[in-house]
This record gives sequence, structure tokens and C-alpha cells, in this order.
Amino acid sequence: MAVETVRINNSGYRVKHGLLRRITPLTEHEKLFEIMLPEGESLDHDPGQFVQVSLFGVGEAPISICSSPTKREAFEICVRQSGRVTTAIHKLHEGDIVGIRGPFGIGFPVLPLEGNDVLLVAGGLGIAPLRSLINYIIDNRRDFGKVDILLGCRDPESMLFSSEIGHWQKRIDLNFCCSVDHAAPEWAGNVGVITSLIPGVNLHPLKTFVVVCGPPVMYRFVIEELLKKGIPERQIFLSLERHMKCGLGKCGHCQIDNIYCCQDGPVFSYQKLKNIKGAI
Amino acid sequence: MHQALLSKRRLADFVSYLVSGHKLVAPVPLQDGHFKFDEVHSLDEISLKYIPTILPPKKYFMPQRSSLLRYDLSKIHEMEEIVELEQLVLFGVHTCDLAGIHCLNIVFSDHPKDPHYLARNNFITIIGLECNDYCDSSAGCAMLHTHLPKGGYDLFLTELSDSYYIHINTQKGEDMVDESSLFDDVTRAAEGELNLLRSRKRELFTSEVPIRYQDIPRLFEETFDSDVWSQLGEKCLSCGNCTAVCPTCFCFDIVDEPELDLSKGERLRVWDSCQNEAFATVAGGENFRRKRMDRQRHRFHRKFKYLMDRYGRLFCTGCGRCSRSCMAGINLKRTISALIEERG
Amino acid sequence: MTRPKVAFFDFSCCEGCQLQVANIGETLLDILNLVELVEFREVMSEKWSGRYTVTFAEGSINNEESAQKLRMLRDRSDILVAYGSCAATGGVIGMQNRISRDNLISTVYGDQWGGEETRTVRAIHQVVKVDYTLYGCPINPAEFLSLLKAILCGISWRASDNAVCVECKFNENVCMYDRGATCLGPITRGGCNSWCVNNGNVCYGCRGMVDNPNRAGAEDVLLTHGLKPELIAAKMEMYTGALEAGNVK
Repeated sequence: MAVETVRINNSGYRVKHGLLRRITPLTEHEKLFEIMLPEGESLDHDPGQFVQVSLFGVGEAPISICSSPTKREAFEICVRQSGRVTTAIHKLHEGDIVGIRGPFGIGFPVLPLEGNDVLLVAGGLGIAPLRSLINYIIDNRRDFGKVDILLGCRDPESMLFSSEIGHWQKRIDLNFCCSVDHAAPEWAGNVGVITSLIPGVNLHPLKTFVVVCGPPVMYRFVIEELLKKGIPERQIFLSLERHMKCGLGKCGHCQIDNIYCCQDGPVFSYQKLKNIKGAI
Repeated sequence: MHQALLSKRRLADFVSYLVSGHKLVAPVPLQDGHFKFDEVHSLDEISLKYIPTILPPKKYFMPQRSSLLRYDLSKIHEMEEIVELEQLVLFGVHTCDLAGIHCLNIVFSDHPKDPHYLARNNFITIIGLECNDYCDSSAGCAMLHTHLPKGGYDLFLTELSDSYYIHINTQKGEDMVDESSLFDDVTRAAEGELNLLRSRKRELFTSEVPIRYQDIPRLFEETFDSDVWSQLGEKCLSCGNCTAVCPTCFCFDIVDEPELDLSKGERLRVWDSCQNEAFATVAGGENFRRKRMDRQRHRFHRKFKYLMDRYGRLFCTGCGRCSRSCMAGINLKRTISALIEERG
Repeated sequence: MTRPKVAFFDFSCCEGCQLQVANIGETLLDILNLVELVEFREVMSEKWSGRYTVTFAEGSINNEESAQKLRMLRDRSDILVAYGSCAATGGVIGMQNRISRDNLISTVYGDQWGGEETRTVRAIHQVVKVDYTLYGCPINPAEFLSLLKAILCGISWRASDNAVCVECKFNENVCMYDRGATCLGPITRGGCNSWCVNNGNVCYGCRGMVDNPNRAGAEDVLLTHGLKPELIAAKMEMYTGALEAGNVK
């Protein structure tokens, strides 16, 4: 009746050590972390996938990857300080190590998007995962048709990646449009909810794929506007926010109906989601 | 060899044989007519007649708290994923619980596999025990077709008048039979007695709920907006009893537990429950199943719809534990009957 | 690295929660490797006049003198922990808020009353800002260690919001309702590892209710077990009566 020590191999819980190569504060609550895996290993992710970031003794948090897979030597995550783990991550310094599991899930539908016009709609922190797709599109620009990006945020101060957005705005091969909920009088841009931007987008509905990423409350209203524009349901993709604890389709936290967001998503077509109760 | 007989007077010897080489776990009595699986050393500690134990055998396959990895911050590149295991024989497992273990096996073998679960599974030998009678009114094994053995064990015992009829299912089972030298060949009389028992069981184990197994998922699909759910929501206290005692509930949380020196510690898998208030809450604070009604409906749909879609079988074994353990009186069979009645 | 300076203080209470730490055994030595205990009346006589990194305050506040002392501790402490039921929810002392003073004094002391003047009982967070709350009558040593480790690591920590039943089932206890007793486990905040039920007692709700209890549902359950509504209310508020008093501005 001897107790044996069994070594577990190939478990999904094994973490890789990620070196924090660069930390860039973005706003009061969000920081951008550039992470390098040992020996320069590429994370090899798809735009829209996420990783589990962990600090031993504190725990894990699911964070979407916000850099394009075309950037191979390191990847980036944008972390909002909200819970126990993300607060601890915010206290780290360049050169510190975090645990990384993943990438997990099914990201944005890059292949179907190719050859088509693309409308990207981001609300708040939703710009972080979409940035992985935007930069992928920029790096492979000739594979995509017309690209429109709509961004909504609370106020100009909470806008993420503002300097990068400045570059996007200058490009003539992207149409970038932004709206804020509130702003001081000197703000020159749009004020209003993101849905107000959709009617003004000039698009060919049957040739356009839309990817939406934002807080849960935003989806219903955005979809309504998109359907009014005549975009087919199967060409609208949404990234769902749920609490992915294990990332392996087991722990149950991210389950909606018969799907596990961590493995079957987080990106789904509206055609699939519209029949799933509790999804949107 | 696929069958054997074990004389009743040799059962104690068989238990002694098992104890000599393994840690043996079997149903033992607790207060007020309850039972639990616990380590035993002889037959007289074991309850051969028992209603389902408070916790199902899942606690051996997926313990309440188990280590996923150990870390040491002073040498982070040597993080270890190890489990300490010993050979374990689960004795006296009823067919409902065999079905529960089968469900867990499906989930944790599904891609991506869970090597932690599978490692534990490798160390467990299962000896089943047939229920000759219906255990109590909470049981729903007849509705869920789990009252007859369908595999998932190494050996399976059925009590006859003066012996146990043994079905040998695996090589491990056959080795035990051979090595213990306590078993006889099956007699024609024993075969006859077994057949009689099984036909009697077919009469005795009839479902009180008027629905066929294969129609249950559709019932749940069609009654998603039923008032039954809000009634359950009003009663439910969110205590989490129903999910803890469920042989097929496997939801968990992952938590880190540092040692007092703060440099070493463990990452643990701890049972969690979709009935707990914060289960579906995301970092921003939004709770996707805020109401108790949503959470109860989710639990039932996981048993009877969602996991059926995913794995092709119902994830309720009819063991009746959730109904027995609910102090608010939420009863699984009555809930299904109410859904049937409301749908008409 | 200098060890954080830790102190224990008490207000209206039985000091039983501090005793839990004093009696924690060898672990106390490990704790003392991590923290510098600067004031703890139950185990030492030294006093400290500087700043406290962490102050554990046991007991409820029921007079101005205590309130002033608590405000002083708050000012001198980086981290203030409401330590145990009396500090966290007012504890059993809070029961006096719903009884007239004359009635209370004559019931308890007859004509022997000569004590201090006491006022409305309040939990600590009703008087000053609290950084962490440790529930329980008494506190659970394992949970204390879990909080201490979080404080030392500088990470947030919150008591469990799961019902006592969750851990009680982990421990595979026979349910008190099946044993013919009534128990507040289903609506009481867990984190105590179902301490009482493990030892054959029912849950009295010493940690207060979970954040969002189904109180009506729990009352129905207790009614069907033959309890009278007044008794149900008294049971449910035995440890939390003080919370109705409102905060001191």
C-alpha cells in the first residue's frame, strides 16, 4: 500500500515563464505588458485568443492577447486593474516573471475575413483583443478589403493605445472613427454611444464581415444597428466575456448553454449565438 | 473467464484479501441512516445494504481539494506537477455511481485531456455491487436507466441467496479472482437465480416519471421559460448541497495556497458550484447567472441538456442525492414531473 | 527586510478570538518569523508607541471611549482588520440594541448594576474604515493564516461568500436537518470549514449571512421544521443585530 509519487506530464496546467520585457502605462487603470517566453519561443496565437496569466501565491486571470501574431518574438497583454490577480500584476516591474498558460480558445475568423471588407467595432477594453486583429490586418493589408474601425469609450482619458490610434488615424488604408460617452468641451471628436457611429459607415453589407468586442451590455445595441445595415447574421462575430478559470473546457465557469467560451469561443458568430439563451 | 461465484461465507475472506494488498474503501454507516465511502479493514465495517453515500465516489477521482502543481519562488523553473497516489479499491459501488464515474471519465478524457484526473483513475480498482431493491423515493435510476450494470467496473457483485454472482469485466478483475483463490465456477442454478432477479428488477424498478430517456433533453429545451424555474429560484438557498453531492458535477475553482514562508505553495483544484453566487461573475462585476432561478435552471440543464448535446448522454445518474440533500425540498423527479405537466 | 509591526487590541468582546492565535501552537513561531508582534495583551506586556503595519481589532464598539481609541488605532495603522464576529458584525453583544436598557440591566444584574455606561453597539466598520474583515465567533485559525499571508504578500483578500454547507459537504457531515435539528448553515457565510457541524453542533450563524441570502426561503425551511417566526428572527440576528444601528458619521 505504498504511496507513489506520480509525475504529471502534458497537463494543461503547466505554466511557462513569461518575462515582462516592457511595461507601458496606458491609462489610470490599464497597463500594457510585453511578455517574452523562454528562449524567445513564439506564443503562436491567433488574434482574439487569450492566455491565463498567473502569479504564484496569488492566482490566475484570463487576459486576451492584444498583439498581432505577426509580432513573433514577444506578445502583449493589456491588463485592467480590477481583481486580486490583476492588481498584483499591476505592481510588477520590468524583468519580473509571470506564469503563462495558453493560448486558449478560438479567436477572430481571420481566414473568412480575408478578401472581404471588414468592420471592427470596439467598446472600452474591447479594443485590446481587437488590436491583435487590427495589427494583423495592417501587417497583411493586401489580403483584406476596406477596413473600418469604430471605437467607443467612456471619455478621452480612458482611451487605450491612444498614440497607436493616432497612427491608425493617419493611415489612408484604414477608416478610424471614435466616439466618447462624455468629454470636456475642447474634445474635437464625436460624443455619444458607439451605436451612433454605425449608421454613418459606408459599407457593402453582403461583402462585409463585422467583428465586435466590448462590454456585454454593448452587444445587443450594436447588433441591432448592424442588422439594420443589412449585414448577414453569419458575418457578425462577437467575442464574449466570461470568467475562464481553467481554459480547458472543464471547470464550468465560462459555460453558456452547451458551449464553453474558453474552448468553443470566446469568438462566435451572431448566427450561432442568437439562439443561445443567456449568451448576449 | 467472465463470471464466477463467491460463496457468502467467503466474502469476509475476499475483503481480507483486498485489504492485504490495497487501501480498501467501502460504504460505512454514519448517523441517522446515512453512509459514506471510507477506508475499511474488514467486512464487518462495511454496509452491504446502503442508500447512496453522502458524497459519491467522485471524491476519490477528483478530491474536494487536490494539487495541480507545487511552486517554489526561489526556483521557479523547477515547478512540479506531481500527485501522491496509492492503489485504491472501491468496494460496493452501486450502478448509479458507476454511471457517475463513467460521466466523469468522459469529461476528463475529452480533449484537452486532464492528466491529473486520469492519473488518479489509474490507481483505482472498482468493485460494483448490484441493488436488488429500490433504495428510496428519491432514487430515479429507473428513469435514467442506471439500475442495471453496464460496465465501468473491474468486478461486479450481485447478491444471490447464498452466494455472490461475480461479473469479471477487466484483466485487473480477473487477476483478483485468480489470485485470491476464493471463487467457484458459476452454476446453472446461480445463472437461473440471476436471471430471475433481473426480471424481477425490471418490474420493480419502474420510473414514476412519465417520460422516456431520449425525450428528456427536448423537455428541457421546451420548458426553458417555465414558471417551474422561478418557483425553484424562490426555494433555493444557494447552499451548494445539490452540486457537491452530485456524482456528475465536476465544476471547480483554481486557487493558490502559499505556505507560511510565502515562497512555496500549491496551486489547487477545489470543487466549486454553479449554485454559488459568484460562480459566473466576471472581473468587471457582471454576473451572468445572477438569479437563483438562473442557477438552478443551469444545473438542471447541465444534467439533462447541455452535456447531452456535448457528450451524447444524460449527466444525471438518478442516484437521488440532490433531492435527499436539499433542505428546501427541491426534488429532481418532482421538478421533471412539473415540467412535463406544464408543457402538457 | 523589516518585519511588519502587528498588534492586537480588543474592545467589547470575550477575547476568545485573540486566544485562537495565542493557542495556535508551533505555527505561532513561524508567524513570529514573519511579523514583529508589538502589542498583544494576551501574550506580552510591551507597548508600542509608533505606527502599526497591521492592527487586528477584536470586539464591538459600545461607548465613546472605545470609539475614540478605535479612531486613534485607525490613524496609527496602515491596515486595520475587523477581527472576529463582534468586530465584524457586532456579534452577540449587538442583541442588546433591541432590548430596552432598563430591562436589560435588571435582567442581567438585578439590583447589582454598577457598571459603565454603554451605548448602541456597533461593529468596527460602522465607526471607522476597515481594510479586511475576519468573521467568526471565534475566528478560524486557518482563515486567519490565509488572511495574514495575503496581507504579507500585499494582495487583496475577501472572506468566502459561499454558504457553510459548501464546506460541510466537503467534510461529508450528516446534514443537521437529517438529524432532526435546524441549522443556519445554508445561509451563513462559510470559510470556517464547517467547524461546528464537524464537531456535532449546528451552525448558529456566527459569521453573519452570505452577501445575498435567500432569507425568505430559509425562513420557510425553518417554519416547516416547526420553528416560530420570532425564534427564527432571533436566530438569524443573533450575531448581526448591531448592523441595523447604522454607521457613525
